Amino acid sequence: MNKKYCLVALFWLTVKIPLAIAAPNDNQNTGAEKSDAAPVALASHTIDSPTFTYGGFGSLGVSHSSQDLGDYVLESTMPKGAGRSYSWSASNNSRLAAHVNANFTPKVSAIFQVITEYHSDGTFRPEIEWANIKYALTPNAYVRAGRIALPTFLDSESRDVGYTYTWVHPPVDLYHQLIIPSSDGVDAMYRFEIGEAENSIKALYGTNTLDRPTSVSTSNDLWGIFDTLELSRTTFHAGYQRRNSSSQNLLTGVIGPWIPNSDLSFGALYDPGDWFAMSEWIQRRSKSKVEAMYISAGYRINKYTPYVTYSQNSTGSFLPGYTTPTAAEFKSANRSQSTVSLGVRWDFMKNTDFKLQYDQVTLSDNSNGYLINVPANVNLYGSTFHVISAVVDFVF
Amino acid sequence: MLFRNSLTYLLFFTLSVVASMAQADVVVVVSSKSSITTLTSEQTAKIFLGKVVTFPNDQPAFPVDQPEGSEVRDEFYAKVTHKNSSQLTAYWAKIIFTGEGRPPQLLSGNVAVRKAIANNPNAIGYIDESAVNKSVRVVLTP
Repeated sequence: MNKKYCLVALFWLTVKIPLAIAAPNDNQNTGAEKSDAAPVALASHTIDSPTFTYGGFGSLGVSHSSQDLGDYVLESTMPKGAGRSYSWSASNNSRLAAHVNANFTPKVSAIFQVITEYHSDGTFRPEIEWANIKYALTPNAYVRAGRIALPTFLDSESRDVGYTYTWVHPPVDLYHQLIIPSSDGVDAMYRFEIGEAENSIKALYGTNTLDRPTSVSTSNDLWGIFDTLELSRTTFHAGYQRRNSSSQNLLTGVIGPWIPNSDLSFGALYDPGDWFAMSEWIQRRSKSKVEAMYISAGYRINKYTPYVTYSQNSTGSFLPGYTTPTAAEFKSANRSQSTVSLGVRWDFMKNTDFKLQYDQVTLSDNSNGYLINVPANVNLYGSTFHVISAVVDFVF
Repeated sequence: MLFRNSLTYLLFFTLSVVASMAQADVVVVVSSKSSITTLTSEQTAKIFLGKVVTFPNDQPAFPVDQPEGSEVRDEFYAKVTHKNSSQLTAYWAKIIFTGEGRPPQLLSGNVAVRKAIANNPNAIGYIDESAVNKSVRVVLTP
């Protein structure tokens, strides 16, 4: 009997003591305020002097390709890659960027971003990726002027920020079709709610000059319209972009004709938190029409996100209204390949991740795929090779 | 016999101390002067992820955050947005580096958040349940 009452009393104490330890007692806060208990003013809506915030991101990675008769590159601007030029390439996956955000008034702000990555001239010289001033008409609408990275495909604007996506790089079979990275001009964005969903629509207009070692490509009347619809865990994206581009051969001085280019893209993403699935499809038209797509899924267990992707691009089909394609043009239109990728992302430390990815690339008939620097008359049609990449991404 | 019960009791005591200290029941609060009485998880997520800048009644919404790595912050985002801290960092990195916006203002802890919110009818924040007092109103217990 005594023991029972003892236990009940001790049980009551057991409940009360931990609660007293865990909960601050407000009765103690009369009189002088404690150090972090002084009232904190929230940032006022008037800013007296410009505030600058600095940050940046980068990736350090290596990749190896089993196909040593050609170079595997991630973007069309890279002059060399893994395979023939380098057994282990660090150029594919390494870059560093510095970013400044300036807030001048509550409505006027600017960003400036410089990135060093592997360029078409083989150097890592810094280049300005973003440099624009934004005027926020309302918290849901803005206009910008300056250099604006193009949102041609779903992850185009942030394709260099490895930390923002699961893969080593947005699927190459599709993203290799991204030729023009940014526009010098203006854009405007407006977002609004449709029931429970948020919709944001963006319109852009500008020009671009793309310098390569042996040619300069000029794009005028570059315009695009892009829409993103988000509902709970689902995101839909659609974009249409056009430009007239002409290329000047720097060796001969010959200026090519103006060719209308268009990029149509659709994307969908479902991400409830524990796992994700996403897909994108694009169609590019210049003198030929090419399509590309990917589908990808992954799931998150603790700090690991294993994922799998299937991607492919089609053989280009020539569009009517142009002169008969030359043999070289045929060859550059036949770059169809497909890739199966398996990888894992490991968020091992704050603001940093590590990724390991294995890609199995299958080249179509009559195609060397996106391989470059393949010796003349070497025919890798129909073959399969694999690429292994290991990358560390960070943001600061 | 008493000895055996004492040992079991000691184990029970220790476990309950540990359990109640580890338990950080996060609640979402607005000022007691605010006209908002309740919010859903979805509505709260949209405000803290910068997708909307107003409450459902079209009043401006001003979210405030607690420091990165704090338990109450991690618990809030996991329960309300289904994002862990890396996913949240990746989410804001994409927005910051494409010039689309910036994350909520950071305050130092539960009491700082409560005091700031008490003074601003448009503010919304998350604090440990034990830090709630009459100056703020709980609008969501995730």
